[in-house]
Amino acid sequence: MAFIKLAIVGFLVLTVIFLSVSAYSRSVRRERLEKRWAEENPGADLAERDAYVEAGMEKYFSGFRRRLIVLVYVVPVVVVGLIVWLTNTN
Amino acid sequence: MRALRIGWRLLLVLIVGAVLHYALPQQDVARITGTEVIRTDFSGFNRLFYAQADSGNVENTTRDLRLINTVRKRTMLLGLVRGKDQTMVYRNEDTGWIWPPYFKFDSSDLQAEADDVRSTSADPNWVVIRHYGWRNRFFTIYPNATAIREVPGPDYRPIPWFNIGFFLFLLFAGLMLRAMWRQFRERSLDPAMERAGDRWDRVEANAKERRGRLGRWWESWTGPRK
Repeated sequence: MAFIKLAIVGFLVLTVIFLSVSAYSRSVRRERLEKRWAEENPGADLAERDAYVEAGMEKYFSGFRRRLIVLVYVVPVVVVGLIVWLTNTN
Repeated sequence: MRALRIGWRLLLVLIVGAVLHYALPQQDVARITGTEVIRTDFSGFNRLFYAQADSGNVENTTRDLRLINTVRKRTMLLGLVRGKDQTMVYRNEDTGWIWPPYFKFDSSDLQAEADDVRSTSADPNWVVIRHYGWRNRFFTIYPNATAIREVPGPDYRPIPWFNIGFFLFLLFAGLMLRAMWRQFRERSLDPAMERAGDRWDRVEANAKERRGRLGRWWESWTGPRK
């Protein structure tokens, strides 16, 4: 029963962390794209900038770095497994 | 107001510090003198400082408690300063799956290990006992031993690798949280506030304009106000 409690609460907490980290990563990427565009094309059209940013975000969504955020779920499970193993074997 | 704020912060730091001091592992250089099992009736207060019945068993109001009696090297200032010998009693309980997250299920095995390295003061056998928790004689609470390993002698100094890693992780998490909050404020919160502010300004300007119109109509009847 305690294990089920840990699994459910752990899943909820990790989901909150996962969503926040995803949002943060998206926001940072978008900001970087906007800044890069502003540097390369000063005073250019805003619609073009939006298209450039959207294209960059598209690339991010299909990229590898976004998938790395899944580690938020993987690492704690591995750590808990490691602790269980280290504590209970001698 | 300022004193209140400082007081709150101090209280918060104290509480967090106490929880960490209670829950993080510490390592004592000790000599195990014996083990025993006593029946324990918890009170409402000191129940908080015990784990639950062995994993897989049912929880009753009273149960047996495994204890490990030792003589340990007294330490001060987080283990930096060594003192004289001191008797210390550890409990040996399963922490199970929840709190604190040691995931310890092998109390019986640990008790067997403790029995195995028992020694007398005439022929001491020094070990490091990894534990968390506090000893308090007034409330009858004991630190919970989680592991025992043999060491060469009483002058051995264990290095708290886990705690070093834990605080580095805590630092990383804190910086990450700060960066996330700043990003959120800069990119989401401030623009939203600005939009709301703009809207409010428009509403206000609109109202002023309307009042102005109403005033002018009124004045067309009464003549200009002085």
